[in-house]
Amino acid sequence: MGVGIDGGFMDWVAVGLCADVPVRTVVPRRVMNTGLAIWCSTAGVFHAWGDRCPHRGMRLSHGFVRGETLSCIYHGWTYDRDGACVSIPAHPDLVPPKSICAAHYDCKVEGETIWVALQLTQAPVPDLGARRAIRSLDVALSAETVAAKLDQPLTSVITIGGLHDIALAIQPGTDTDCLLHAFAAPDQDRKAVSQALEYLRNELEAAE
Amino acid sequence: MSQSINDYWYPVGLLSGIDASRGTLLLGVDITVGRTGGAFWVKDAAGNALPTVKRFGHLWTCPGTPSGDLFTIPEADTPGRQLVDVGSVRVKCSPLRAVENFLNIAHFPFVHTDILGAEPHTEVERYNVDIREEVNEVWATKVKFFQPQAAKSAEGGITTEYMYRVASPTCAVLYKTCPPRPGEWDVITLFVQPLNEEWCEVWPWMALYDDDSTMAEMVSFQQLIFMQDRSILENQIPTKLPLDPGMEAPTQADLTSVAYRRWLKKIGYFYGAQLVAA
Repeated sequence: MGVGIDGGFMDWVAVGLCADVPVRTVVPRRVMNTGLAIWCSTAGVFHAWGDRCPHRGMRLSHGFVRGETLSCIYHGWTYDRDGACVSIPAHPDLVPPKSICAAHYDCKVEGETIWVALQLTQAPVPDLGARRAIRSLDVALSAETVAAKLDQPLTSVITIGGLHDIALAIQPGTDTDCLLHAFAAPDQDRKAVSQALEYLRNELEAAE
Repeated sequence: MSQSINDYWYPVGLLSGIDASRGTLLLGVDITVGRTGGAFWVKDAAGNALPTVKRFGHLWTCPGTPSGDLFTIPEADTPGRQLVDVGSVRVKCSPLRAVENFLNIAHFPFVHTDILGAEPHTEVERYNVDIREEVNEVWATKVKFFQPQAAKSAEGGITTEYMYRVASPTCAVLYKTCPPRPGEWDVITLFVQPLNEEWCEVWPWMALYDDDSTMAEMVSFQQLIFMQDRSILENQIPTKLPLDPGMEAPTQADLTSVAYRRWLKKIGYFYGAQLVAA
């Protein structure tokens, strides 16, 4: 089962382009009501975790990456690649109980993009073909409204096609916003595609 | 022994900062704080005068019936101390989260890096905590921590000893090794005015032995520390302090916070608390 939302369904949700999460950084992302800490390890492995340290509820997206671990900025509690707590600095000699772990989700990279499955799925990550990632745009509309305005069912990726062969991966937000991660045919000029996307956004956001 | 949240004393302004009148919130209710000539007053929304106390450089009020006098800090009355009116910081967090953060030392190396703590000196040794029934306060004693710059007056790193005292549900006092006067304690307080359950006005106040720093230097040192704390306090989930033991994972270093939460439950003070997992 994936993310069920009114008027659609998605197993995998794009939460950003890889270029937006450089090595050794962590950023906050949101998919509807789920806050996520997306981080990239020193070796370049991406992770998607619940944005909350189990110790005192601090957002892990404010934390720091060292090697293949993410640490909370509040007390330095450190979690390994599986989300298990491996170090509590206040008690250096303590082996943290196995019960202490950060919520973690399946996370994959495909087409220069970070994909997250909020629930277990056997489905493959959406195939964008030869398209390459262009940019992300925030839109002041719900994901459902964007899909409806494009006259398409709401799925992980909506293909627009056209001159640039544009595809949009949708990251649902609230009732009044969502993010679109845009892809286009590899031979297309980035600047021209980016401009086309701005027009598209203006059209979408324009009053009915 | 449960007492209404309205029957406690709360800080509502600096005596040195109140002129004419200004509106503010206390426990989600509008009040007005002001001064007429030399007389300080607090009124509720209907214009009724509320009880007041002037102490520790602040004006205090109680929207209900005070169950007793406001606590005292005898150590702060000894001569030769600089009394520092730090001012206020508005924080989008539960008043109880603000107090709990003040009681915590394990965050020093990560939040107040190279000031109140620094890696690799992260260990928190066992200390004593008790709920003192006779005074209805929480105390932590023999708390020790290595600090690179414990105070404006500290030169280089020292192991600082602390005592923490929760004197009322939204007020805590820290007694701390005093660099220029071994044997005496510096007093640093955190007085929290609950604007509502998820928003507070924090009034830090200090009574220090420090003959070298200017008042402005001491104020800005404490404000820097509190700005760093605010970046934590406004990013904790949930915003209210969870009293359900299953919601968060304390360790031995958190014994003061564990006792504080237990005490809040015992006295039935739940304003700004989350009782069950959301």
